[in-house]
Amino acid sequence: MKMEHWWFQAPLKLKAIFRRGRAEQELDEELQFHLDRKIEEGVAEGLSPETARLRALRAMGGLDQRKEQIRDTRGIHWLTDFLDDVRYAFRSLRRAPGLSAFVVVTIALGIGMTATPLSMLDALVFRPYPVSRPGDVVTLVGTSRDNAYDAFSYREYLDLRDHTRSYDGVVASTTLLSVGFSSRAGETPQVRGGQLVSGNYFRVLGVEPTLGRGFRDDEDAVPGRDAVVVLAPDFWKREFAADPAVVGRTVRINGVDFTVIGVAPETFPGMFIFMRPDLYVPLAMAGRFSTNPQKNFFVDPDDRELTVRARLKSGATLHEARTEIAVLARSLEREYPKSNRDRGAAVRTQFEMRTQDTDVNWKFGVIFTVLALAVLLVACTNAAGLLLSRARTRTREIAVRLAIGAGRFRLIRLLLTESLVLALLGGVAGIAVGYAGISALDTFTIPAEVPLKVPFRMDLRVLIASLALAVLSAIFCGLAPALQSTRTDLLRGLKAADVDEPGRRRKRLWGRNALVVAQVAMSLMLLAASFLMFRGFRHSIGEGVDFALEAKDHVLMVRFDPRLVQYDAARTEQFYKRLAERLRDSPDVLGTGYTQNPPLGLDDFDRVAFVPEGFQMPRDRESLASMMDTVDDGFFETMGVAILRGRGFRASDDAHAPRVAVVNEVFAKHYWPNQDAVGKRFRLDRSDGAPVEIVGVAKSIKYRDSPFGAGIDFVYLPVTQHPAARLVLLTKSAGDPLQMVEPVKEAVRALDPNMPLLETRTYADLYRYSVVEGPGIAVKLVGTLGAVGLLLAIAGLYGLVAYNVTRRTREIGIRIAIGAKPADVLKLVMSKGLKLVGIGAAIGLVMGVAIERVMNAMLFNAGGIDLLVYLVVVPAMIAVTMLAAYAPARRATHIAPTLALRCE
Amino acid sequence: MSKPADLVQGTLDLLLLKLLALEPLHGWAISLRLRSVSNDVLQVSEGSLYPALHKLEQEGWIRAEWKTTENNRRAKFYSLTRLGRKQLDLEASNWQRLSNAISQVVQLSEA
Repeated sequence: MKMEHWWFQAPLKLKAIFRRGRAEQELDEELQFHLDRKIEEGVAEGLSPETARLRALRAMGGLDQRKEQIRDTRGIHWLTDFLDDVRYAFRSLRRAPGLSAFVVVTIALGIGMTATPLSMLDALVFRPYPVSRPGDVVTLVGTSRDNAYDAFSYREYLDLRDHTRSYDGVVASTTLLSVGFSSRAGETPQVRGGQLVSGNYFRVLGVEPTLGRGFRDDEDAVPGRDAVVVLAPDFWKREFAADPAVVGRTVRINGVDFTVIGVAPETFPGMFIFMRPDLYVPLAMAGRFSTNPQKNFFVDPDDRELTVRARLKSGATLHEARTEIAVLARSLEREYPKSNRDRGAAVRTQFEMRTQDTDVNWKFGVIFTVLALAVLLVACTNAAGLLLSRARTRTREIAVRLAIGAGRFRLIRLLLTESLVLALLGGVAGIAVGYAGISALDTFTIPAEVPLKVPFRMDLRVLIASLALAVLSAIFCGLAPALQSTRTDLLRGLKAADVDEPGRRRKRLWGRNALVVAQVAMSLMLLAASFLMFRGFRHSIGEGVDFALEAKDHVLMVRFDPRLVQYDAARTEQFYKRLAERLRDSPDVLGTGYTQNPPLGLDDFDRVAFVPEGFQMPRDRESLASMMDTVDDGFFETMGVAILRGRGFRASDDAHAPRVAVVNEVFAKHYWPNQDAVGKRFRLDRSDGAPVEIVGVAKSIKYRDSPFGAGIDFVYLPVTQHPAARLVLLTKSAGDPLQMVEPVKEAVRALDPNMPLLETRTYADLYRYSVVEGPGIAVKLVGTLGAVGLLLAIAGLYGLVAYNVTRRTREIGIRIAIGAKPADVLKLVMSKGLKLVGIGAAIGLVMGVAIERVMNAMLFNAGGIDLLVYLVVVPAMIAVTMLAAYAPARRATHIAPTLALRCE
Repeated sequence: MSKPADLVQGTLDLLLLKLLALEPLHGWAISLRLRSVSNDVLQVSEGSLYPALHKLEQEGWIRAEWKTTENNRRAKFYSLTRLGRKQLDLEASNWQRLSNAISQVVQLSEA
């Protein structure tokens, strides 16, 4: 019914819009036909043609009113009026091209500055999961004292899957960081990243493979039985040249033959923001990918690796789901008192998952956006000031319009349309600026085994948000001028056009003075914030990375995972030992070391649970946790991590020797304040766990690529006592580390020609990304925001002050005519400007302090107020103000008073 | 001055739909027809006729077409659409109910 209705209406409306002339003509003709008939009738009744015509018109009740009534029935008045306004706006903007261009550029800068952080925020927080009905997909997390977003063990997953009623399916997945993949047997395996997923993964998420099929539930039922794999779309294109015949083929993954059963669709690049998995394997095959041979993923209650997501049933509310999972967590706690003590569980929405308190990326997104919005606000203030001055010069035009009967609302609409046209032009140009900014973000590469994608892009949401901001800016900068100029006193307006009347001036000027104050205050606040960020970044970049100064020029990293060629633990250990021995024999090698995870890298460190001896444990806790790395005896020397007290590891710290550890300064101070931590002991896992003696304290360094990674607890354990299969070999030489690639390869080949070198890169790559480029982007972004903000503020300030003074030309003329000295006049005019800047600076200072407080609390402690900012910027602003006031005031004092008096 | 029979709100639509259901007509013919059919009881002001027709057209109940009259002049003829037919049935039955109800009230004998 509704559709049908439209079916008839649409052509009429379109005709009324696009063939307006025709519609009008037909209306005339129709009414004329009626009138003609009526006149004929009258003549037939014996009236004179003229009388008949008048009678006909009377009967119609006013031809033009009727026409207007009929036009109203078309229901497109708002549109035709709007189009008229737009046309008029373009015409009147063309009359002041310089001003229009300036406003457009100003707004373009403002919008463009906003688009880039908006795209970051969009990618980090708002972009929905690439699945069907993403709004229904929630993440189930475990909660404990240390972690409100914990993963689940396999057993917990089964319980969640089988005992919840709120969902249409519960899926589990975990990331495989590096798997050895070869498209046919016998080929050297390449490292790929993938996901272990439950059998219902694709079905529940509503992802339909483009080729083949997704997993069946029974393919995830028996551990190790069904070796099937689904390829990711990008990987399929890269590795198999998008060959549709790939389904049914056999590929080798970690030395086992897997059958390709499907290819995931283009629309599903995975559930992560940055990472793109290459392949998907059923959870039941987990044994093939275990990183720790001592753990059994399927039964171990402490092995919590699974990300669990669920799709809410239609009709089930989040609240119900939350209540349900809380109850379930309590029953798990009763069932497994040992592993689940004090553990809860919670349901988190996508938004909650992406705005975790521990994650800094999205916070940067928010801060950048806020800064950018401040720049936009400054830009809008500029535009408002300009439009205000323009509106004043149009007083007469507007008075005429009001006098001949235009409604005030209608005029405000017209003026707002003008600013809307300006803002939209600026918005479109701004989107181009933003696009350039976003592409600039895309140019740096992330040094990881698996290609990571920088996900920032100008998508529809960002586009719409930018345009919405443009419209908001239009209202913001257009409304005040429109209101003020249509409030004109008609008589005065018609008479005098553009002169400030004595007595009324105070009120009139208030708006412009407020703009000057706001301009100064906002730009100071913006600058304070950008300076703080800038300094904070610079500070945190330099913090804790000194150790790498030598390593970055001389260390080569090669990653190995002997499990890829089916080594067991003993062979693995043997391989690493002999490789190190071989290399150390070479005269070019200054040192070698092993680590699971080099500092400043991208991967998360493992965590170790421990109980320090003699430390008063919180009553409700069984153990504490710290980040850790397993390293060998050569690590500290090779990497450059200084041992401050005690010793590093020795070859004698082997599996038979007493257990030892090296901790960092923060750790030592944390648990043994004012004491020497060397010689103290902690227990692994729990209070009755294996005792470990601390033999050394290492310098605290920055561990993660995050700018705020310093200042955390860190424990090093010897790889000899805590074997790991996947290690990174560090080789230090005197010269270019790349020259070590061949010697390392040779040494490996001599031991086992089949052993793949997983990731070979210089430490400089990591250093550059983590210390230089990554934070560099943030620094650049903040710097650009601050600079553009300052530029806009100064331009705007100059314009406003100069305009205010020009307005007073006549007044100055009078003053001079009745005997004022030019110097007095200059003083008068300039002191006024200075007063405004002073007030603005005071407000800006207060707001700047507030902003610094907030940002320090949120992110980093970069120290207190940066007085330097104020010492440099405030005088600069005063200088600009003086200049802006001086030039027009001087001109005014030099014009002959007779001219000045006539000046309008 | 009150007209002989002010049209009850909304009944003009019903009248127009009904007339056009019988045959396509142009505006002038409609005004003549209204007068003659109702024996001059219903006098629709010619002025309000055209806005009403355009409104019906916008609603999609009638459609307009330029045709030649018997006197060889171009005129805009309105005819009922499928949608208009449904609307006519609806409004006619509403009217029927309303007028029945009113008649019953009016015919109540004073007790």
